Order: sequence, then structure tokens, then C-alpha cells
Amino acid sequence: MEILKTKPGIHKSRGGLIRSFVNTENGRIKDITISGDFFLFPEEAIFIMLENLKGTSANREEILKNIEHTYEKENIQSPGTAPSDFAESIMKALEAQ
Amino acid sequence: MEEWRFIDFGVVDIRDMMAMDEAILKGDEGNTFFFWTPKKSIILGFFQKAEVELDLPKCKDYTITRRISGGGIAFSDDRCRQINYGVVGTIDNDMFPLDIIESYKQVCGVLIDMLVHYGLNAAFRPINDVTVDSKKISGNAQTRWEGKLLQNGTLLLDFDIEEMLRISNIPKEKFLDKKIASIREGLTWLDRELGEQLDMEEVKNVMKDKFEERFHVKLKTGTLSNKEKELTKSLLPKYYSTEWVYR
Repeated sequence: MEILKTKPGIHKSRGGLIRSFVNTENGRIKDITISGDFFLFPEEAIFIMLENLKGTSANREEILKNIEHTYEKENIQSPGTAPSDFAESIMKALEAQ
Repeated sequence: MEEWRFIDFGVVDIRDMMAMDEAILKGDEGNTFFFWTPKKSIILGFFQKAEVELDLPKCKDYTITRRISGGGIAFSDDRCRQINYGVVGTIDNDMFPLDIIESYKQVCGVLIDMLVHYGLNAAFRPINDVTVDSKKISGNAQTRWEGKLLQNGTLLLDFDIEEMLRISNIPKEKFLDKKIASIREGLTWLDRELGEQLDMEEVKNVMKDKFEERFHVKLKTGTLSNKEKELTKSLLPKYYSTEWVYR
């Protein structure tokens, strides 16, 4: 994914800044990457979260449900940042497209 | 009184330091408090992408690496007036609470006690900042591994804020909820607050004293164990690699 050619969705949670970069195809997330200064434990779970989002319908409800599912499955803790914060950042990236 | 290990690594290459940092967390030498001062460098947080966060063509004379904990860029200029610290501790709900924010608060308390010692109005600002009169003077980052925590943080004695702004891509959203107009108003450093340049060794000694008081332990100067040195050696290639830094 060519990040610098993709418009970011930027959202600030209490725990940090989340910059999302998203490509879609036929209304679904094709590729997604995130850069930010938030905290999330265990750290590696971010890669699972991003992988799980690929193929998801590009709407807030589906994205949030998908992230919440990964949070539960991977026992993610992210002080000051909620699944809805990631969803918000991703929605902003989708709207910027 | 219980003794914990203390190490001062002095002025270091940040890639070597991050390998030692991880080795101390993953070694078995027990609770440890350590200091280092980075050479001119940038450390990315675990979730940060170099090309997004930095104006890379302007960073050519910086050593760049990534750490294993989240949070934001740790920027060090060539003034080398920064005290960086690390704490490795067993999470036990007494010394090092399981609750993430509580554990930040506990370790950041050492910095606050030190700043109060110098007469400053220091406070903990969740999640991970220490402030003086609401301006950030210290950023901290924590990760956890097998029942232990590793917290790294920095205390700014002097800071080239214009240089940091020159090399980084900080969007305006970063400051929206901090009730400050810009990063210039939101950051401070010890030399500025005190109006004089303290000797760094003196500040480190005060921090050590405050650490001992807060944790009710005696710090005993030590070195890396052979196992930690081996672990460091095996971790070094990661911190020097393009795959890790620019992923």
C-alpha cells in the first residue's frame, strides 16, 4: 500500500493519535494500515486486528463489530483508546477517499 | 531492605540500548532501574510508521529505530541533555499494579517526586505523561511480558523543539483535547523551568533517591548478566534492520 498517496483518517483518542490508511474494493476494505502513538497490549494483536478487517464491509457498524471481536478474542487492552476510536479513524479515512 | 539492580549505561547508540532494554525485560535478573542518554536519534513507538510520522529526507543524520512499546516518537537532539530511564518490575499489585494506568502512575511518581524536590509543580497526566504547570516534561511508554512490565521514559533537561517540529509530521489533531494551541506551548524542559543548567549526574542521583524512597528498596549498581548479554546480541540485528524500523 502506498501510504503517502493515500489520504489518512485522523482521530485523536484519549490514549493517542490514530492515523488510518484504507483502500476499498467493491465496498469492502481491501487494504488497511494504521500509524499512531496509542498503546495497545499485546502489541502484536494490531496485526491480527488489521488482517481481520480486510474484506469487511466499509461501514461503521461492520467495522466496529469486527474490531470488537478481535479485542475479545485477543484479550486486547488499550488504555484511553476504544474499538470505537479505531472505527472513527477508519471511517474518516473512508470519507476522505 | 530488598536490593534491586541499578545500571547507568551512559551515552549510547539507541539501537544497542533498545536491544539491552528488551534483554533486561526478557532476562531473569529481577527488578532493575536503569539510565541512559541517547545520541542524536529518533525512536518510533511500536505502532508508528516512519514515513507517516517523520519527514524522512530531513532525518538523514539521525539514527532511527523502533521500540517494543507503543506511544509516540522519542526524539533526541545532539545536545544530549535528556535522562532516559527504564524500569523492569514484576507485576504484583503492590509495587507495580496490574492496572495499566495505575502502574504508569506509580513509576511516573519517581519523576514527580524528583521535580517536586526542585520546587516544581509536577503532576501525572494520564495515560503516560508527567507535566509541570500542565506542560509535558516527560513522556513514558510501557509494555508487558510474562508477568513483568518494562517502562521507559524520558526527562527533558534541554530540548530543541524547533528541530523536532522540522523533522516530524505532527497533525493539528494531536493537540485538540489538550487545550493548548500548539506543541510549543505544551512542552517544557528542566533547564527552562529552573532557569539554570543542573548537572545531569545530580538530577540522576535525586531520581535514584526518589526511586528508593518510593519502592522502599536499595539500588545496587550492577551490570548485564551473561545471559542478558547473549540475549542482547541476538536482538541487535532486529534493531538495526530496515524490516523492523521501516515496516
